[in-house]
Amino acid sequence: MMGLFEAAWVIARRDFIATVYSRTFIIFLLMPAFLFGMTYAAGQAGERADREAQQAQVALVADSQVVTALQQARASLVANTSDLSFPRLTAVAPAEHPDVQARALLADESAAYSAVFTGTLDRPILTGPEKIDENVGRRMRLILDQARTATALSNAHISVPSPEFERVLTAEAAGNLHSVRHVMARIVQIVIFTITLLLATMMVTNLIEEKSNKVIEVLAASAPLDSVFLGKLIATLGVSLLGIALWAGILGGLYLFTQVLSNWISVPVAPAIGWPIFIILAFLYFTANFLLLGAIFLSVGAQASSVKEIQTISMPITIAQVMVMLLAGTVVSATGGILPWVAYVFPLSSPLSMLALAVQSESLWPHLLGLAWQFLWVAIFVRVASVMFRHTVMKSGGKISLFPGLRSKKA
Amino acid sequence: MAGLAIEAKGLVKSFDGKEAVKGIDIAVPEGSIYGILGPNGAGKTTTLRMLLGIIEPDRGTRTLLGHERPLEAARIVGYLPEERGLYPAMTTKEAIAFMGALRGLPLDVGRKRAEILLRENGLGDYVEKPIKSLSKGMAQTIQLFGTIVHKPKLVVLDEPFSGLDAINQGRLESLIRDEAAAGTTVIFSTHVIHHAERLCERIAIIAGGRIRFEGLVAEARDRLRPQVRLKTRNADGPWRTSLPANARETNGIWQFELPAGGIESLLKGLMDGGAGIEELSIERPGLHDAFVAIAGEAAAREMDKPSPTELGVAA
Repeated sequence: MMGLFEAAWVIARRDFIATVYSRTFIIFLLMPAFLFGMTYAAGQAGERADREAQQAQVALVADSQVVTALQQARASLVANTSDLSFPRLTAVAPAEHPDVQARALLADESAAYSAVFTGTLDRPILTGPEKIDENVGRRMRLILDQARTATALSNAHISVPSPEFERVLTAEAAGNLHSVRHVMARIVQIVIFTITLLLATMMVTNLIEEKSNKVIEVLAASAPLDSVFLGKLIATLGVSLLGIALWAGILGGLYLFTQVLSNWISVPVAPAIGWPIFIILAFLYFTANFLLLGAIFLSVGAQASSVKEIQTISMPITIAQVMVMLLAGTVVSATGGILPWVAYVFPLSSPLSMLALAVQSESLWPHLLGLAWQFLWVAIFVRVASVMFRHTVMKSGGKISLFPGLRSKKA
Repeated sequence: MAGLAIEAKGLVKSFDGKEAVKGIDIAVPEGSIYGILGPNGAGKTTTLRMLLGIIEPDRGTRTLLGHERPLEAARIVGYLPEERGLYPAMTTKEAIAFMGALRGLPLDVGRKRAEILLRENGLGDYVEKPIKSLSKGMAQTIQLFGTIVHKPKLVVLDEPFSGLDAINQGRLESLIRDEAAAGTTVIFSTHVIHHAERLCERIAIIAGGRIRFEGLVAEARDRLRPQVRLKTRNADGPWRTSLPANARETNGIWQFELPAGGIESLLKGLMDGGAGIEELSIERPGLHDAFVAIAGEAAAREMDKPSPTELGVAA
């Protein structure tokens, strides 16, 4: 008999070459750029649109001096923050009864005011519902304070210029490093999550094609189904690593030779554990993550007979995977409590969680423990999943046994 | 009898609680051409899959080339499934070599042999052509080459003649004979009796998941008495009392099994009774007649129906 790994290698080699020379691989290569581009654009546009939509508008019903003082105060505050940080101020000519006018303005849906300022700088009145106090109310107080201070200084003919900082530059600051690594940890989690999901789906789709064009029967007659299972996992893992290597090569090349990226990232930030070890860990954690999830996808996918069916079957897995991703995210958020520990220990979230830890902490020993733990689960998952695969892919029936060799020897 | 390439005892297999194969015994001698005959749904494919270890039987044992676990013999077995399966984007040469590689043949050796097989069979122009560009019959031929490229000791063909035109069926028959002549054991399933009749030394007749007959083709035929066909000048007369009870007349021709008493007593009765024998022949029954007698009329009618593969329906 061809050995398990020998047959798996034949199948893996075929699948690997077939995938790399297919259009699917090009799509796989382009997909991350497309996904992240879309996510970034949608995030930027969405965030701005959200904030703009949420930016309150306040009507200023006061004499022109007050209006001018408030608008100048806002302008000076905005100059050091952002325009979206403060409510927009719109001057409205005062009527005979300001309190009645204020209520009428708040009721006018076409104007959409959140509050109305009436009175003077010394006796300010803000009309509006209670719920605006947290946001609009506080900011209007800042604007008012700024206006009052500026008016008082101006009246006293005192000028207080803002001093310029004398900058003392350091290589890094712990706080900044922490926040950048926080983002970095999130990014690596999202990257691994996305690639794994993409590849697992691709692998199962290929399996369905093989089932529909009956190649699976030829494979099953020639080699143990465990080899078929393993071969497919190995091939897809190989494809993913090639894809990642290509991406890393392209980005690395750009960074080193064109300085395009180095202009973007003015301060190179290394993961806490250092780049060389991080790259090794990323490879190992990605492998563990892919093998764990790929095994589940492949065993479940073996039950399907069409791409449509696999979409239905894999939906709960994908939802579960998103939940696992959220669980792993608790490590990055450092919310404390038991959840991050659950994320480290739970086999499916462990690779993502530990990789985030590698970004944020320089301790090496937890990774040795983590990898041993994860690869133990990889062995269990692959074993169980391959038995399920064998059981379902050819509808071979019979009792499921994790150790068929033992069963047949007993028989 | 030579050693056995395949021996199966009491194979049982159920799907969704329904028994598809109900205790099958098969013994295939080494170097023979062995046919499994049966209508669609008789359990032929399930039996072959169990013999090869693609699926596990619920009960029963089987030995394949001396191995109790069939996949242990995978390197020396070739299998052509009923549902042909090839990667559409692969070239013919690569497809054949890949199938050989699955059976342990090094890829470079497989490629060389594939090229030789293709050229020897007039398909030299298709060496680098992708499978998707081939006709169905040609793709089937490629898969057949993939089945034998590693020079197996046992070739298992599931409905190999399905979907082939008459010329390719003839070629396949020759190829099967050549393989057997080279010492390879060939076992194939079919629902077309004349292929089995022309090729096989031994057959198994399966119907309803059970073996109805297992043995030499001649033994199957011998289950029926020779058939007598008689045409007389006189339509009636005392000679009719010498005809056996099962004699039937169609268009003036009488047909019946040769009586146990032999031809002499029959001839004497006919001549003494004034039949005026115009024509008389004694014919050995064909495998089809034997099949009808063994498996029944209903199974024989099912045999004439095309297989799901021929109808283009995936099983």
